[in-house]
Amino acid sequence: MFERTVKKSNVAALRAGFAAAVLAVAMLLGAGAAHAEKAVKIGVISDLSGATSAVGVPYAEGVMDAVKYLNEIGYIPGVTIEAMQVDYAYNVQQALSAYKKFKSQGMVALQGWGSGDTEALVSFVARDEIPVLSASYSAHLTDPKKAPYNFFISADYSTQLRAALKYIKEELAESDAPKLAFIYPDNPYGLAPMEAGREYARELGFEIVGEENVDLKAMDATSQLLALQKVQPEFVWVGGTTPSTAVIMKDAAKLGMKATFFTNIWGADENIFKLAPQASSGSISLQASVTYDADTEGARLIRERTGGAYQMTHFIRGFASMYVMAEAIRLAAEQGEITGPAIKDALESLRDFDPLGLTPPVSFYEDDHRPNMAVTLYRIEDGAFVDLGTQTLERKKEWLGK
Amino acid sequence: MQTKCGVFFESYREEARLLVGGFQKSRFAAFFLLLLASPWFLNNYHVSVLIFINIAIIAAVSLNVLTGACGQISLGHGAFVGVGAYAAAYFGFQGVPFLPGLLLAGVAAAIVGAFFGIPSLRLKGIYLAISTLAAQLILEYVFLHWDAVTGGSNGMPVDSPSIAGFAFDTDRSMFYLTLFFAVLAVLVASNVMRTRFGRAFIAIRDHYLSAEIVGVDLFRFKLLAFAFSSFMAGVAGALWAHYTMYITPEPFAITLSISYLAMIIIGGLGSVQGAVFGAIFITILPEALGYLADGLSGVFPEVSSYLLAAKEGVFGLVLVLFLIFEPEGLNHRWKLFKSYWKLYPFAH
Repeated sequence: MFERTVKKSNVAALRAGFAAAVLAVAMLLGAGAAHAEKAVKIGVISDLSGATSAVGVPYAEGVMDAVKYLNEIGYIPGVTIEAMQVDYAYNVQQALSAYKKFKSQGMVALQGWGSGDTEALVSFVARDEIPVLSASYSAHLTDPKKAPYNFFISADYSTQLRAALKYIKEELAESDAPKLAFIYPDNPYGLAPMEAGREYARELGFEIVGEENVDLKAMDATSQLLALQKVQPEFVWVGGTTPSTAVIMKDAAKLGMKATFFTNIWGADENIFKLAPQASSGSISLQASVTYDADTEGARLIRERTGGAYQMTHFIRGFASMYVMAEAIRLAAEQGEITGPAIKDALESLRDFDPLGLTPPVSFYEDDHRPNMAVTLYRIEDGAFVDLGTQTLERKKEWLGK
Repeated sequence: MQTKCGVFFESYREEARLLVGGFQKSRFAAFFLLLLASPWFLNNYHVSVLIFINIAIIAAVSLNVLTGACGQISLGHGAFVGVGAYAAAYFGFQGVPFLPGLLLAGVAAAIVGAFFGIPSLRLKGIYLAISTLAAQLILEYVFLHWDAVTGGSNGMPVDSPSIAGFAFDTDRSMFYLTLFFAVLAVLVASNVMRTRFGRAFIAIRDHYLSAEIVGVDLFRFKLLAFAFSSFMAGVAGALWAHYTMYITPEPFAITLSISYLAMIIIGGLGSVQGAVFGAIFITILPEALGYLADGLSGVFPEVSSYLLAAKEGVFGLVLVLFLIFEPEGLNHRWKLFKSYWKLYPFAH
């Protein structure tokens, strides 16, 4: 029979050794946990192949590059952003499916894109408490009573139009009642700021001499411009997209119109230099961000990251939108858990937050989701944007959501 | 009715049954039970795709009655769905409860559909298609500009459905609700096709002069086809509105009408089962392409980016390929598949 005698001191030594081993493992695990990055999942709905992909692709690239950059520098301590991207081809049903997919994968916030998907998701995101930063800048999305979880980083379409009118009145108008005309597509995007524009134009003393519809896919705008030429507007607001603006500008040049054209944020980007190089010269483009060659920290950073390969303003806005969202996630992480409501609260606590100088400073309030009232104006000259400065409006309560 | 060897009917009643034979019934019951259980093991995303399939089934089946059975081409079906969606939103806003609201949405769409069906007495084929295209454009304009009712370019919010105090505010509950109406739509459409109305529709489609000679009132039955089809389209629209909870004019554009036409062409014109197959196929196609692009992105990043860019083109390509290689649609393929297994292993 085998007998084993173990001394008491050996038992104590064994116990101490075991305890030390457990402690070491625990410390190792603890240290591991301390260094482990927590991933926060965000959804990115992009149009990479649909009707708006010409601007959707650079915007989405901006968003994704910002995610990469923010993870590289560890912008949110101990947290990495995991961006789940879906190309919804500008189809509302696919956007809803993508949203559900992200939701089932644990999304806490969403980078959205166009009017159709953003508006279709308004009620879903409010119910599911998922904050959205989109590139649909309709004013009604800035009213938290109607769209509590919707945000964006650009001045809304109505504010842009009002800023253009204010600039005309203060800087360009030679008479007390300058003649003004509107050209816009007869679709939700085109119609969104028109009521606000008409009202503010009347308030400032403009004489609205005409309104014409030019479709986003128009190949010709001569008949509309002939009608406007008869009433001789001094200033024309164009609320389309770059291809339709190019058609309008070229036809206006062909007819010899003397009016100064103003284009809203989607109405003229860098493609206008190729589509209507001469005709667009002298027109004024309204933007919410700096251009690629600007002298700001963010623009320098983007130039460095993209190796000097020119990026459109849409890329810069995409980058800025993600940067603002990341700041809200960082603030939410500081406060505790990163959840949708926490990110919303963090967004609503932002006061004059500067996204590296890429856009005017951003502030959101509990009862007001307008990011700012500032619009940057650029004159198009010789295939480049020439900065005319930033027009800032008063944050009037009666303008909220309209 | 074409049945397998050895099945004999002893009464007309037996012959009129939708499901024939124990195997078919048990197969269908198993499928249905699986469908009912699916929300409990699928995630929200997959359930949401099933909800869209249910809604698409209602709309596609309804278009199939009009175009497939009665031969009246409609390029305005997306707008009729839109009428239902806006009507449901409007009546909901006025305080009408969900079920009466759904019924009223169907009635509103039926009235609009019947109105735009009036030219069908004088117009046929491509001319009728253009006339219904006009309906599509007019209705899109109304959605966008009748601010007081539709909310104009801003759209309007819609509440989740609620029946007797129970709110259908989750994907799972919405799945059961939409499934109920999809099943109802399939049953109603199947039965209508077997009544004198359905036979009149088919007679009009096959030869309108002969139909008129045997006593079919062309105008009445064409209008009935438009009204009935639009009623179901309106119900589909109302369910869409209540599910998405916010409607704008954008989804109810001509592309939606083309999608529904594609569903019935790919599924099989004139067959209720075909419309169901088509609705499933077209709804799943973009999701499947997305999955394929995701799956390939790790192995062939270039291929997946091309696939993304070609996504819209793939839709057209699939339609053309179906027209060339399977003009009778998925339903025909399903019949061939069943025949193959009935005869297996003695195929010849």
